[in-house]
Amino acid sequence: MADVTLRGIRKQYGNVTVVKDLDLEVKDGEFCVFVGPSGCGKSTLLRMIAGLEEITAGALSIGGQDMTRVGPSERGVAMVFQSYALYPHMSVAENIGFGLKMTGHPKAEVAARTDKAAKMLQLEPLLKRKPGQLSGGQRQRVAIGRAIVRDPEVFLFDEPLSNLDAALRVQMRAELSGLHQELKATMIYVTHDQVEAMTMADKIVVLSSGHIEQVGSPLELYHRPANLFVAGFIGSPKMNFLKVDVRVEGEAALVTLPGGSRLSLPTEGKPISDGEMTLGIRPEHTDLITGGDAQVQASVKLAEHLGSETIFFVTLADGSEITVKADGLATQKAGDVLALGLSAKACHLFDTDGRAVINGDLTR
Amino acid sequence: MFPTPIQKSARWAQIGYKLLLPMALVLWLLPLIGVAVTSVRPAGDLAAGNYFGIPSSFAGVENYTAVFQNSPIGWYILNSFKVTIPTVIGAVALSCLTGFALAVYNFRANLLLFFMFIAGNFIPFQILMVPVRDMTLKAGMYDTTFGLVLFHVAFQTGFCTLFMRNFIKGLPFALIEAARVEGVSEWKIFTRIVLPLMRPAIAALSVLVFTFIWNDYFWATVLVQGQHAMPVTAGLYALNGQWVAAWHLVSAGSIIAALPPVLMFFLMQRHFIAGLTLGATKG
Ligand SMILES: Nc1ncnc2c1ncn2[C@@H]1O[C@H](COP(=O)(O)OP(=O)(O)OP(=O)(O)O)[C@@H](O)[C@H]1O
Ligand SMILES: [Mg+2]
Repeated sequence: MADVTLRGIRKQYGNVTVVKDLDLEVKDGEFCVFVGPSGCGKSTLLRMIAGLEEITAGALSIGGQDMTRVGPSERGVAMVFQSYALYPHMSVAENIGFGLKMTGHPKAEVAARTDKAAKMLQLEPLLKRKPGQLSGGQRQRVAIGRAIVRDPEVFLFDEPLSNLDAALRVQMRAELSGLHQELKATMIYVTHDQVEAMTMADKIVVLSSGHIEQVGSPLELYHRPANLFVAGFIGSPKMNFLKVDVRVEGEAALVTLPGGSRLSLPTEGKPISDGEMTLGIRPEHTDLITGGDAQVQASVKLAEHLGSETIFFVTLADGSEITVKADGLATQKAGDVLALGLSAKACHLFDTDGRAVINGDLTR
Repeated sequence: MFPTPIQKSARWAQIGYKLLLPMALVLWLLPLIGVAVTSVRPAGDLAAGNYFGIPSSFAGVENYTAVFQNSPIGWYILNSFKVTIPTVIGAVALSCLTGFALAVYNFRANLLLFFMFIAGNFIPFQILMVPVRDMTLKAGMYDTTFGLVLFHVAFQTGFCTLFMRNFIKGLPFALIEAARVEGVSEWKIFTRIVLPLMRPAIAALSVLVFTFIWNDYFWATVLVQGQHAMPVTAGLYALNGQWVAAWHLVSAGSIIAALPPVLMFFLMQRHFIAGLTLGATKG
């Protein structure tokens, strides 16, 4: 059992607080991804779990044992660094086996485990090379090999794929997911790439400036973002936000769209007050056909024909700009006028504090 | 590109360069050439007033054997080694440790301590002459090579620590962190990861300290009196008095005394390798 539990974890540098009283539970065997914009404290949090950064306040436990003040070497976690951090003067085999050798494992066992890890990562032909003679992807695999050879219960990854090119990234992503299924270890993975988060995670933790915005499964975050930050962060292209006027009538919130048309969203009994709010709708949920629950007129500013899909950047009646993702066969060009159909089920409503008051969940 | 490669400059500049460079080189080396030539000059040349001309015959073998036979220079050189080698080993080893501590650990007085090491370098050593001499006398180490070694190690460690600390700071810190997470002890991190990567720094510093201590004259005269512990620099000076007119012998002695640092440089040269940390990080 190696669940990781954070209770009121805080990190301060002088009087700057970079991680703010954070609570989180990562279950045994879970693939948990920390995402967030640059500088939000993902690496700091991961390094605190690894023991490389002192925990200012709060408690950390791994596998039920308190690890708050335990040194990195006694935590039994393995970490893959963003910069790989391979020992440059050692061969690949020595790099992988170094930790085991230094912690007193017999030679034969070190060799056997190194071979097994190398086989798993297809590093066998490279075992004699030095890190300087490897490509980026190969170095990455060595760094992972160095982690898995120790057979830890918790893996920590700090943006391990960020130095790789797009194709290799896709491949490594799949390999890491496969590795997780094979090893069934707890993995905590830091990235600022939301595609990585969506494709690999069992659980995503969205962070912004040192606190948790939302925790949930990838699809939960996609369909039911708890606030504007998460709504804007998850999904690509970004969710569109429109400033709208809302009036509540009984069980429905009546939203006045740019151009004057009305959209009625079910309040589901939530106490919502009238006034200005933000309507969120994803580019892929705005239809070019004049269906849906409400229509708006839009003129195309720019059209990107990508073959598989078409991205329109359009301007609405009140001048606000949104993005529309349409079929790859769409023929409209810049200057054309479109009618967009919005479906109430795909709309989210956020109050002035940015909290979601209505999540139109398409999965229901 | 700056400076412009000489191949691309005007013709007159190229010719001028090719002419002036060897001239400047010879001019620069003239004193050394003079000493070298004098060291193979027969004694008769000097008596006849042939100071700077071509030696009338090659007397290198006679002069150099004479130096070893008629003077304790062999003994002096041995003393120099007895002072220099322990100093190099002591100062470099100590500064590897201090440098590692100052570069890797974040204790409270870290910077203060580091500045103290640096500040030590700024003290003009002449003002230390009397107190250091008194101290070695009282400690019973006056006129011994051991006393000289001890003082040199203490005095060199300041600069060496500065050098080593900055070198280790330049290594990717993630290497140390990676090893820590792997459960490697701090001592093994030092010996298995940091030390191998410090090879170029150790080589450079060894040559530097070796040359410096080998050529030290000041402390050799301050802390040593008798022949039994006298290094070659001070010894040569004593020979100057003995061989007032025997310049050929003085020259030969000087050449002998100058050789070990040069040899040291060539010995260490293969360790001056760049790019030892290649591949450690994404690059
Ligand atoms: N030693 C330090 N002293 C003061 N502030 C620091 C220190 N180290 C990090 N920070 C601050 O802590 C915050 C979080 O840094 P962290 O490295 O965890 O960000 P991150 O989320 O990993 O970003 P990125 O995606 O760019 O890697 C940043 O705002 C950074 O400026
Ligand atoms: Mg980071």
